[in-house]
Amino acid sequence: MIIKLIMNDIKQNKLFSGMAVFFMAISSMLTVLTVLLFSGLLGAIDGLMGKAQVPDYMQMHAGTLEPVEISHFVGQHEEIRDWQICRFLNLDNSRITLGGHSLADSTQDNGLSVQGERFDYLLDQRNDKPRVLPGEVYVPSCYRIQYSLAVGDLMEIGEQELVIAGFLRDAQMSSMMASSKRFLVSEADYERIRQQDGRNAGVSSAGSTYHIMQEEYLIEFLLRDGTDTNAFGSAYAAAGLPANGPAITKPLVRMMNALSDGTMGFIIFLASIVVLLISILCICFMLSLQLERDRKDVGMLKALGVGKVQIRRLYMAKYLVFAVCGAGAGFLAAVLLSSPLERQIRELYGEPDSGLQAIISGMAAIAVTEGIFLFFILQFLKRVERLSALEALFSSREQGRKAGWKQSLLVGFVAFACIFLVLIPQNLYTTMSDPAFVSYMGIGNSDIRMDVRQTADIEGRTERMCVALGEDVRILKYVALYTKSCMVVLPDGRTSHFHVETGNHTIFPVNYLEGEPPVGEKEIALSSMNAEEMGLSVGDRLRLLTNGEETDYTVCGIYADITNGGKTAKAYQVGEEAPVVWSVLYVSFKDDAFGGIFSRDGSVEEDSSKGELSRESVAKEAWMEQYRRMGADVIDIADYVKGTYGQTLEQISLASKVAFGAAISVLVLVVVLFMRLIVEQRRYSLSLYKALGFTAWDIKRRYFIKGMLPVAIGIVAGFLLGNAYGEGICGIVLQSFGAERFRFVIDLAEVSWIVFWLLLTAMAAVWAGIAEIRRIKACECLSGQD
Amino acid sequence: MDGLLKVESLRKGQILDNVSFEVKPGEMLAIMGPSGSGKSTLLYQVAGMDEPSSGKVWLGDTEITGLSEDGKAKLRLHRMGFVFQQMNMMANLNLLDNILLPAMQARRKTYSNMTGRQGESRMTKSELEIKAQRLMQKFGIANLGSRKITQVSGGQLQRACICRSMMNAPEILFADEPTGALNKSAAQEVMEVLLGLNREGVTILMVTHDSKVASCCDRILYLLDGRICGELVMGKPKPDCQKQREEKVNNWLMGMGW
Repeated sequence: MIIKLIMNDIKQNKLFSGMAVFFMAISSMLTVLTVLLFSGLLGAIDGLMGKAQVPDYMQMHAGTLEPVEISHFVGQHEEIRDWQICRFLNLDNSRITLGGHSLADSTQDNGLSVQGERFDYLLDQRNDKPRVLPGEVYVPSCYRIQYSLAVGDLMEIGEQELVIAGFLRDAQMSSMMASSKRFLVSEADYERIRQQDGRNAGVSSAGSTYHIMQEEYLIEFLLRDGTDTNAFGSAYAAAGLPANGPAITKPLVRMMNALSDGTMGFIIFLASIVVLLISILCICFMLSLQLERDRKDVGMLKALGVGKVQIRRLYMAKYLVFAVCGAGAGFLAAVLLSSPLERQIRELYGEPDSGLQAIISGMAAIAVTEGIFLFFILQFLKRVERLSALEALFSSREQGRKAGWKQSLLVGFVAFACIFLVLIPQNLYTTMSDPAFVSYMGIGNSDIRMDVRQTADIEGRTERMCVALGEDVRILKYVALYTKSCMVVLPDGRTSHFHVETGNHTIFPVNYLEGEPPVGEKEIALSSMNAEEMGLSVGDRLRLLTNGEETDYTVCGIYADITNGGKTAKAYQVGEEAPVVWSVLYVSFKDDAFGGIFSRDGSVEEDSSKGELSRESVAKEAWMEQYRRMGADVIDIADYVKGTYGQTLEQISLASKVAFGAAISVLVLVVVLFMRLIVEQRRYSLSLYKALGFTAWDIKRRYFIKGMLPVAIGIVAGFLLGNAYGEGICGIVLQSFGAERFRFVIDLAEVSWIVFWLLLTAMAAVWAGIAEIRRIKACECLSGQD
Repeated sequence: MDGLLKVESLRKGQILDNVSFEVKPGEMLAIMGPSGSGKSTLLYQVAGMDEPSSGKVWLGDTEITGLSEDGKAKLRLHRMGFVFQQMNMMANLNLLDNILLPAMQARRKTYSNMTGRQGESRMTKSELEIKAQRLMQKFGIANLGSRKITQVSGGQLQRACICRSMMNAPEILFADEPTGALNKSAAQEVMEVLLGLNREGVTILMVTHDSKVASCCDRILYLLDGRICGELVMGKPKPDCQKQREEKVNNWLMGMGW
């Protein structure tokens, strides 16, 4: 009997039933998709990191190295489980071609490496350790998609040729946020290419010797479980061991891997929350309408003596059927959609965990989602329990203004949530693709950044470059900042190594979360990570040990930074004697530096007729090459941002398209549904209007305005609040990238298009929803008011 | 053309079968018949609320059956009035607003009807309110304008419904069982109102079950199985002869198998 009742009810209310299943399915789909993406990503990363045996602590170093010193250090530290020194031959990007594509524009440090002896393995596409034969090379898998490479293609390094034998998964450096990329070659090829460099070394125009390739060392440690990597890093630095490059820890590697691919998951998670909220509201509202409609039937059942539990069971059984249908459809859709969305995860980290665990997680997500629906439905059904048989039979229906207000509020809220959902990823994309975004990450907002590192004469080279820049007519302004190594005196009296970037920080200022850049001699600004670790805020004092003397500095500002492990400081000047460990030059061009208006967004300008790089781009590349020959690593900031966040931006772009599609679908469905409901609810009144002589157009015009008003208010409110408060939500993502307390960069033209499309869609939806008005007959009202 | 309303060979599915009749200006015509005979269906077709399967209906020179939905709506708004059995008032409007509803819609547009009363369709809301109050006073519900429809009696509500139907001064008033949902005294009040309107020259076409109500009309048509089976011409009622009229109608109805 129950089945018959349910089936008849579904047949009679196809629209209600279809919408309920749709809302349950779309919510399930998004939550399952979130779970599948996150569990797939984390599973794949952990799987790869486990198989590759990523070191717990890795210190990069260029220059001379005494393994005996490190061996001695290892002997004194029981927490070290294993250690090794890997070599990395840093190549000149302009001399590399992959399958005929030059890497000259690459912002990555590309270099050769041999397989790790004891751990830190470079794995192939099956996550196995590949055997590389002489003359072969394994290329980082991120380049496979980028340059459409295939096995058998050639890699050229100057005159040397290597055949691509496969593609690599590098657990440490797969993410584009990791600035280096390792190419795996045989020991013989590594040595041959390294020795070739010695013969190719030349003398620059400034008179200094430069090498095309530079060998670096990765000093890697596996630590026992429970070891504090930060404390270990401090111990390493205190031992005075080789450390003129960045140090990386295993959690940082894991975070970088997860972040560059987790943003899409985060946006889909955000979408799933909003859609779930909308769906619950819509289903509860539909249920309330249905209860009003069934009021007399319920009264009759109660009068006949049917218990409240049985009546509730009748409704619950129906929604349980809907939940099962919705869950099935949602799961299926999520599985189908997850495949293209996991493409990058598969490429970089291997097959995501799509086994039993992922299925169980997906099922659990579905159970939770549908459970939330059923819980709210149950709460709603308690209204029926409170209703007496007499009330149900004889009281009037809750039509009119109260119900109308609820509908308008709901439709307005849905429109608000939809535009909010679209604006957040869109603004996140605009913000992160803006060249000024680097200022949130500890990098000055300039056109070019030049790094002078890992060379014997850092100060000399920097000074010569400053002279050259001073004479360069293309330059608008530049600044040289020297990073010096000093000791900081901690509150407990201990000292620790500390890097301070000195120079004029007001020319290309980074974004300060608090305070201002240092201008006075005794002022210092700290990165947020350093300030947090030392428990310091603006106005506090910090004691540095320079020239054998302790000097107090006042913390004048705190800034966000992700460079050099996030632990940096900036001062106008620290002790003269402190050794310079590296220097950075920031440069900006005049507008017509290369014969035309220089493209600030870093887009590659092409001559459309020939399909070649424009003269401006060629001139700029030649200019950069000139400074590279002076011994600096020269990068275009816009290219750097694209190179570092390109993948993430692509994902955000994809996610914002998914969000836009979801928002449009939800808005159309909800608006059509509610306009249809309003028309159905007021069918009697509308028929009466017609009987009294109102034309269908008169009535449709009123209902169009009635329907559009809450939608338009919702869209405008969502537009204002999404732009104003969306920053807070995106802060969660961007803070993970190191960019704290950022301001949204809003592309008004783009956002206006979104608003325009949503409004247009809403108008079409309202119009479609009230189409039924034309079909209502004037005589319908004569058959009574129920 | 003599008739104000002319119905010719009207059919509606299996319900109406070749129905033809005329209503003259100033006439009060009743349509009677047993349940399911097609009385209400006939009224819907004649008033342009539903589309007949075939046949034609004219109001004056206008062929209703040839009009579009919007054309029929305009015709109903400006040239017809309706009184329903269930009153059919908007629950979320008070009595006065309900009465004003069609008039508020009509005043927005100019409309030339047969009598050329173009000026009335442009009345302001306050002018319309004055007009509504005048009608309400005439029908004995002057102080009930601000009441909700649930706060007045059935008779008062039906009189308000008649006020609403008269706001645009229609050429013909259609009444579907106007006393069907009322008690005896309320039904009497409503009939007096309708008779008064007819005396003033308003043409009325009424569907009724009640022989007493039908006996007040000038003419009665008897509908059976979708066909007109009989016609009784009564003439205008005169004072002190209502009883005889009722007897005449009852006898006629008995003859028709009522």
